[in-house]
Amino acid sequence: MQKMPKRYYALFTLPTIIAFLLSFFIPFLLGIYLSFTKFTTVTDSQWVGFSNYIRAFSEDQNFLNAMIFTIKFALVSVVLINVFAFSLAVLLTRKIKGTNLFRTVFFMPNLIGGIVLGYIWQLIINGILINFGVDITYSANYGFWGLVVLMNWQMTGYMMVIYIAGIQGISPELIEAAKIDGANSWQVLKGVIIPMVMPAVTICTFLTVSNSFKLFDQNLALTAGAPARASSMLALDIFNTFYGRNGYEGVGQAKAVVFFLFVAIIVLLQLRLTRNQEVEN
Amino acid sequence: MNSKNRLQDSITFIFLFILAILFLSPILIVLMNSFKGRFFISDTPFAFPTTQTFVGMENYFSGIAKTGFIQAFGYSLFITVFSVGAIVLFTSMTAWCITRIKSKLSTFIYYFLVFSMIVPFQMVMFSMSKMANILHLDNPIGIIVLYLGFGAGLSVFVFSGFIKNIPHEIEEAATMDGCNPLQTFFLIVFPILKPITTTVAILNAMWIWNDYLLPYLVIGSNYKTIPIAVQYLQGGYGSRDMGAMMAMLILAIIPIIIFYLSLQQYIIKGVAAGAVKG
Amino acid sequence: MSKKLFNMISIVLIAVFVLAACAAPTAVPATQAPATAATVAATTAAPSATTGGEVYYLNFKPEIADVYTKIAAEYLKETGVTLKVVTAASGTYEQTLKSEMAKSDAPVLFQINGPVGYAAWKDYCLDLKNTDLYKHLTDKSLAVTSGDGVYGIPYAIEGYGIIYNNAIMTKYFALSGAKATSMDQINNFATLKAVVEDMTAKKAQLGIKGVFSSTSLKTGEDWRWQTHLANLPIFYELKDESYDLSKGTPSEITFKYADNFKNIFDLYLNNSVTGSKLLGSKSVDDSMAEFALGESAMVQNGEWAWSQIKGVTGNTVKEQDVKFLPIYTGVTGEEKQSISVGTENFFAINSKATPEKQKLAENFIYWLYSSDAGKKFVVSDLGFIAPFDTFSDTEKPTDPLSKEVLRYSSNTNLYNVAWDFTVFPSQTFKNDFGGVLLQYAQGNKTWADVTKLVVDEWKTEAANATK
Repeated sequence: MQKMPKRYYALFTLPTIIAFLLSFFIPFLLGIYLSFTKFTTVTDSQWVGFSNYIRAFSEDQNFLNAMIFTIKFALVSVVLINVFAFSLAVLLTRKIKGTNLFRTVFFMPNLIGGIVLGYIWQLIINGILINFGVDITYSANYGFWGLVVLMNWQMTGYMMVIYIAGIQGISPELIEAAKIDGANSWQVLKGVIIPMVMPAVTICTFLTVSNSFKLFDQNLALTAGAPARASSMLALDIFNTFYGRNGYEGVGQAKAVVFFLFVAIIVLLQLRLTRNQEVEN
Repeated sequence: MNSKNRLQDSITFIFLFILAILFLSPILIVLMNSFKGRFFISDTPFAFPTTQTFVGMENYFSGIAKTGFIQAFGYSLFITVFSVGAIVLFTSMTAWCITRIKSKLSTFIYYFLVFSMIVPFQMVMFSMSKMANILHLDNPIGIIVLYLGFGAGLSVFVFSGFIKNIPHEIEEAATMDGCNPLQTFFLIVFPILKPITTTVAILNAMWIWNDYLLPYLVIGSNYKTIPIAVQYLQGGYGSRDMGAMMAMLILAIIPIIIFYLSLQQYIIKGVAAGAVKG
Repeated sequence: MSKKLFNMISIVLIAVFVLAACAAPTAVPATQAPATAATVAATTAAPSATTGGEVYYLNFKPEIADVYTKIAAEYLKETGVTLKVVTAASGTYEQTLKSEMAKSDAPVLFQINGPVGYAAWKDYCLDLKNTDLYKHLTDKSLAVTSGDGVYGIPYAIEGYGIIYNNAIMTKYFALSGAKATSMDQINNFATLKAVVEDMTAKKAQLGIKGVFSSTSLKTGEDWRWQTHLANLPIFYELKDESYDLSKGTPSEITFKYADNFKNIFDLYLNNSVTGSKLLGSKSVDDSMAEFALGESAMVQNGEWAWSQIKGVTGNTVKEQDVKFLPIYTGVTGEEKQSISVGTENFFAINSKATPEKQKLAENFIYWLYSSDAGKKFVVSDLGFIAPFDTFSDTEKPTDPLSKEVLRYSSNTNLYNVAWDFTVFPSQTFKNDFGGVLLQYAQGNKTWADVTKLVVDEWKTEAANATK
């Protein structure tokens, strides 16, 4: 149907739009405005132009370090998770026994919340490290790899499920045709399966990239940034800037805007990149 | 050929089996530690409880008392169930409306909502908590509005993807029969949406149930949800009780695991469907 | 279903949603049952008692959070006024106060930590000079003042030092080759060091895992070092300069007594229950438990820690064995140094709250320190040494560490190490100091890195505070 009386259109869309405006869009605009001001509560804001942005980078190295840490983390995680998930998906589409059970088990960690996840792995990692006389706060590297392991544990199952759906969506004829042409399993994988699951790759990459960049709960729980904020990712650094000290709210908001632009650019780039690789069915 | 395949399959099976055990082990380790006395956990998390270190259910009781876990559970449940309900109801309506009525406004609304998926929470966290406070949304009922606003992007995105592929004919027949849009939607379209509704419900339920920062900022000082209760134990208070922490971690996971195991078919199917169609 | 009915139901659903969004909800799911003290340790909200009014207090001290549940119940009974107490997690008071103050239902009673806290919150501090409680303050110079206004009333005098277990010390003194034969002989750093290191060598005989409890350096748990221990070198430096504390934070320091800090800090690290690389995960609670269970002989902390020691299941420490030793660092003349007694806990009342709420807050704090029930709580449960003349000499806390604080402060032969840390520039300074101490303990940074950070950050943070 192409026509709908106006009042119905409103009825269908207003609740969502109003909630969206109130909880997201207006705060978003307000956030942008506040990033150019010095404020404690919203009502006492004074315009200061770009100085918050400059301070975000110049006053201390925390923001820059968090950015580098986050980028490294995202790169490593995205690659590892997708490789892992895809490999598992390939294995689990081979009709061996217990496929369903395995799928259930691998997906399960995804259900567990970030905070809980962080503490579970903190216990385990400290338990291992104590044999070497250190703990996870000894070096930001431990925090880094701890987060990578955690992220893999949490996300692999989810991505695997998506890849499985993608692989199962490939029409068997294509695979048959390739096999008849003399391709072995490896070539079938490279030549048929991978190109045909590019849409799944797009989705999975998008999800892992955005989740990695936005990571907060797990970071807070696993290391809380120790030692001395060296293992803070961007979200945690911004949170600490905002709430950890007085007089820095404007800087915190500026950092948040930079964070947003950063994530937006990366995600859009990534979507562009992978969409171009997709083969329309 | 056959025996080679079988060998390959067996190796694969064994590999996956070991991997599965590894995957489950963190949870099992926490479970084991939840029965040990609080001073015997951090240094030796991999040790089995001995007669000396075993404390039975004591950690669970003290954990529940310390964090008010039962209330936290109540709040988490209330907020998750009603937020998911609100999201499913309103975003499906919106998605159907903007997908069926092709206009500039519809396109604008679509991108407007979807755009929010890229924005990190930190960008809006301060101003949103201020707004919530001013509008008196900083309580378990008001937070539902906030979740609807935040969940709108993803949910509309997923719903729209699905609705695009539903043929118009049935709806047109209903309109011609004299149904108004509300009836068309609820009587005809909504039932068809069931599979994707499950997806949306599950995706949102998982996120909201486990969410820490939003409830912490908005309602945290008065009402605790489960993630806040768990983090609370870590907040020190001069009493970081590892035993209680372990017990609370397990209690926090149990509801989700029960939910998952009973619905896992739908969950897994739903997640896949949502991603591929989107 | 008839079309009309359907339409109606849909409109109703939408209406319910809109109403829920707009209305200030009064029907909150009833889960805050008033009775059980066993529930939430943070909030003690009785069901919405709009009759008597409400006092919202943001509490700084986690150790006594539970006591407020009882106080609230008693206060409600006596006055019909609801006391709502929220306790901030260790190390997050400023942060929590900030986000709570931004809300429409902000705390009316809160705490500032001294002149620096006042500087940060002066727009929210009501002048208290005409309140009943202030009138009963024994030493008016203790209050936080500005001009002739009074903005912070101290609510507890506290002291900290090295808490030691006399039973273990006695055992040590009886050993052959002991470096001292009684606690009186340990009155400077050299002797302390000799004794401690000898005890470490003989720890098997003494049945301890280490002389000192873990030097807890977990984030938020490091205040014993970045604030309390750091107080000593700063105290001596400011004393040398005859610095007037009421001027607030000095714009810079040279940290000239850095080596003294290092003396004692290294002693703590090298003679501890836990290896120095594992301290990033240790909390104050862990340290107190180690002391309580007899695994260590000494732990640096304040008299508030008694309730933590007492509360450890299976504790082996006896009340009569728990005593204070001053923290010696190797400063000349320290034989006459006492423990460190002072206060950083000042009541402040929100000047932006309604006058009715302010009055309720004033009434509450006066009640706590003057009514029979209130005073009993202060002395027995909160364990505060109260600086008010409403307390007779017999109404002082009787726990062993409070008694020690009183013993030391009445000893006129010793000079007190005043709480100069109330003028440390900011929480960020303290947190970063703690962070670098952790890295020093782990061997990742040198002592020169530590001193550099202290001097540089003091300067930047002090400058920031005046922006």
